[in-house]
Amino acid sequence: MTTQLHAAIDEPTVRAISESLDEPAWLLETRLEALDALESLDMPNVIRTPGRTWTNLTDLDFEAMIEPETAQEEKDQVGPDDIEVYSYADAVRERPELLEEYFGSVIDPHENFLTALSTALFTTGTVVFVPDGVAAQDVTIRTRMQSRSLFNYTLVVTGESAEVTILERQSSAGAVEGSRYYSGIVEIAPGENANVEYGSLQQLDQATYNYTLKRSRNRPYARTTFIDGNLGSRLTKTEVGVELEGDASEAKIIGAFFGTDDQHFDLDSKVWHRGAHTNADLVMRGVVDDVARAVYEGVQDVGRDAWDTNSYQRENTLMLSDTAEADASPKLIINNHDTEASHSATVGQVDAEDLFYMTSRGMSDRTARNMLVEGFFVPILEEITVDEFRDDLNARIAERLWAN
Amino acid sequence: MSSEEQLKETNTEERFEFRTEQKAALVAEKGLNEETIRLISEDKGEPEWMLKRRLRALELFHELPMPDDWPGAPDLSELDVNEIVPYIRPDVDVRAGVDDWNELPEDIKDTFDKLGIPEAEKRALSGAGAQFESEIVYQNMKQQWEEKGVIFMNMDQAVRDHPDLVREYFMTTCVPPSDNKFAALHGAVWSGGSFVYVPEGVTVDMPIQAYFRMNSEGMGQFEHTLIIAEPGSEIHYIEGCSAPKYSKINLHSGGVEVFVKEDAHVQYSTVQNWSRNTFNLNTKRAIVEKNGRMEWVSGSMGSKATMLYPCSILKGRGASDNHITIAFAGKGQDIDTGAKVYHNAPETKSTIESKSISKDGGRTNYRGLVHIADGAYDSSTAVECDALMFDNESTSDTMPYMEINESRVDVAHEATVGKIGDEDIFYLQSRGLDDDDAKQMIVSGFIEPITEELPIEYAVELNRLIELEMEGSLG
Repeated sequence: MTTQLHAAIDEPTVRAISESLDEPAWLLETRLEALDALESLDMPNVIRTPGRTWTNLTDLDFEAMIEPETAQEEKDQVGPDDIEVYSYADAVRERPELLEEYFGSVIDPHENFLTALSTALFTTGTVVFVPDGVAAQDVTIRTRMQSRSLFNYTLVVTGESAEVTILERQSSAGAVEGSRYYSGIVEIAPGENANVEYGSLQQLDQATYNYTLKRSRNRPYARTTFIDGNLGSRLTKTEVGVELEGDASEAKIIGAFFGTDDQHFDLDSKVWHRGAHTNADLVMRGVVDDVARAVYEGVQDVGRDAWDTNSYQRENTLMLSDTAEADASPKLIINNHDTEASHSATVGQVDAEDLFYMTSRGMSDRTARNMLVEGFFVPILEEITVDEFRDDLNARIAERLWAN
Repeated sequence: MSSEEQLKETNTEERFEFRTEQKAALVAEKGLNEETIRLISEDKGEPEWMLKRRLRALELFHELPMPDDWPGAPDLSELDVNEIVPYIRPDVDVRAGVDDWNELPEDIKDTFDKLGIPEAEKRALSGAGAQFESEIVYQNMKQQWEEKGVIFMNMDQAVRDHPDLVREYFMTTCVPPSDNKFAALHGAVWSGGSFVYVPEGVTVDMPIQAYFRMNSEGMGQFEHTLIIAEPGSEIHYIEGCSAPKYSKINLHSGGVEVFVKEDAHVQYSTVQNWSRNTFNLNTKRAIVEKNGRMEWVSGSMGSKATMLYPCSILKGRGASDNHITIAFAGKGQDIDTGAKVYHNAPETKSTIESKSISKDGGRTNYRGLVHIADGAYDSSTAVECDALMFDNESTSDTMPYMEINESRVDVAHEATVGKIGDEDIFYLQSRGLDDDDAKQMIVSGFIEPITEELPIEYAVELNRLIELEMEGSLG
């Protein structure tokens, strides 16, 4: 790993963070191990084709973007009374045994350089626990990043047959000169037959580099739905994944993005079918305008023992500008023949005939185009069952469209 | 006798698996060094410039990395280029290839008789070439095409007879040796292959074919094919290849360069049946000018591991590409194949159809790249991959890559993977077919959209090979 590290990414900083949160010894140990591992770890995988690298992470200047000692944010964590919602600091105090059992259980802190960096330096986060059989709506988490860098950790654990809907929003506040860095690690451990819906709307400012890894590991009959909206940031590298370990578990990953200016989105959706009778449905839709670039990788990986698998994936990108770029690589890795799997991907522009029809009815070009783009997102919006989230995403898309 | 009957009558063992005790005129030391390159070049009486190109390619071979860090790349660890004999010149009287099968040594003639080449030539071809080990031993084209200025000769001879054309086109703009490690290897030790030149406006109405036979254990075959189709011309080139099975590793690393000029149309069909000790690592590429059309048809049945991604560079406005590939991987095989298309001009069009079948622990992978450059407006591409899996030991992967830099385009990719349907088999069994015949019929139906694009002789050959694969009697 050749990335130069800031002087502050060192043992005293990590010890100071751990101490300020009054962490137990095992957490400090975990952080220090992650710090030590940085040297030997690689950046997250990015796609390379002859002569081209789809996302360049190795040239990022972390030294200039990371200031762990100044981490600052505004955070709201609200949930209904019958479940437990903690800030990370409170969870350390009140649910240390829960943390010890689940921290790093879904995402290995040493998975790559950025997960290790996050493990060593995170200062904030949210821990949600839903007891057996409890159904909870509307857990909302708002993070407004105020400092140059922010490392955020989220853990969701549910009991058997529990149900929970969590909405998370990230945004930026305050002006910081130069580049900023946001890192979010989300681990989800649904209990047997649980149902977790995790929505995320990312609206960081365009000075911010964003790395997010969200993953759920599902027990039998557990169902996880991820909804991932990416609108903000200068560069986003994100992976949303579900490991279907338990028999008859299910995954749904719904993604939407809208890139303008010189935004770069590298969005990965992944599902690992490991148990029998598992189902997955991956849907991604997005728009790129100006000189924005969208990179999509979708992986449907069916293991040798994943009998009776159903796995579907669709990706559609709309290009609003000739200077934008859309790259896509939907992959099927199939090791069990008792599988029905498909994927499809399309890239195109707003349909010329539709546009003509609408302008012939007296609409301006811009109105017609914007309405068609709004229409393009409808199939995604329809997949979102939480009204608040759907309306929010819809409004943000409309804002972008009508703003310029 | 119809060709189908004839092919059915010939036993597989005899058709592909036989070995010929053939003494060679010259056998290079195994391994790769400057001395070997000089020996090959000298043995061919090559001009200095070709030797220089070979030596430059050898340098590149040492510099370039192995293509083994790709996601899901086939395992090449058993391939040691230093254990491969790169050059074996067969012991024949006429170096450039005779034009009468009867002038060949009996055992070599017998080889190609068993493979059915002279018979096919009589019936369905405008011309035929046959390579045994490192050089072409037979080359012939019907008189009428010669009169029209069509050239079909072995590549070694073309270096001497058409130095200007070869100097301009050979591994320069299309497949430079710097392209990848095995293109560099090919550039260093290439030998044999075909040179095809079709003059402006000439349509060669029946295909020409070259057949490549690797007979010796532990050797490498590195034939080079260079096709230049001048404006408005049309040709269909077919290559077939096979080898008997040995316990040592063999290597095939061919290089194919096709220049499709304005309004020209080239179809390049391959039926590959290398033995299962052969690594098949090829570089095939076409540069297509304005309104030109390139078609790649590939059937990959054989080899231990194949890495093959025929590429079309659509350089001129309105150029088009059509890829049709069938891959069949049985026990111990890793067939990693697909397509590459670069849309570098407006109104270019490509379609890719891929069918893969994996069985008995074999692995197929469709690996493809479609790149649409900024400014290639009004272009379209459609990719369709279907895979069929026979059992739970096998693997079927699909890894397409799309890079789209232009908004006025139509890009669509679709892929499906499934098992052979129990209901379909049950239905056919209820009609009196046994299990094997039912599966055979389902597979034939699965690949039919592709076989129907092939000339009948090759469709029959491909079907026959698939039958043999299904019976497990090959390899």
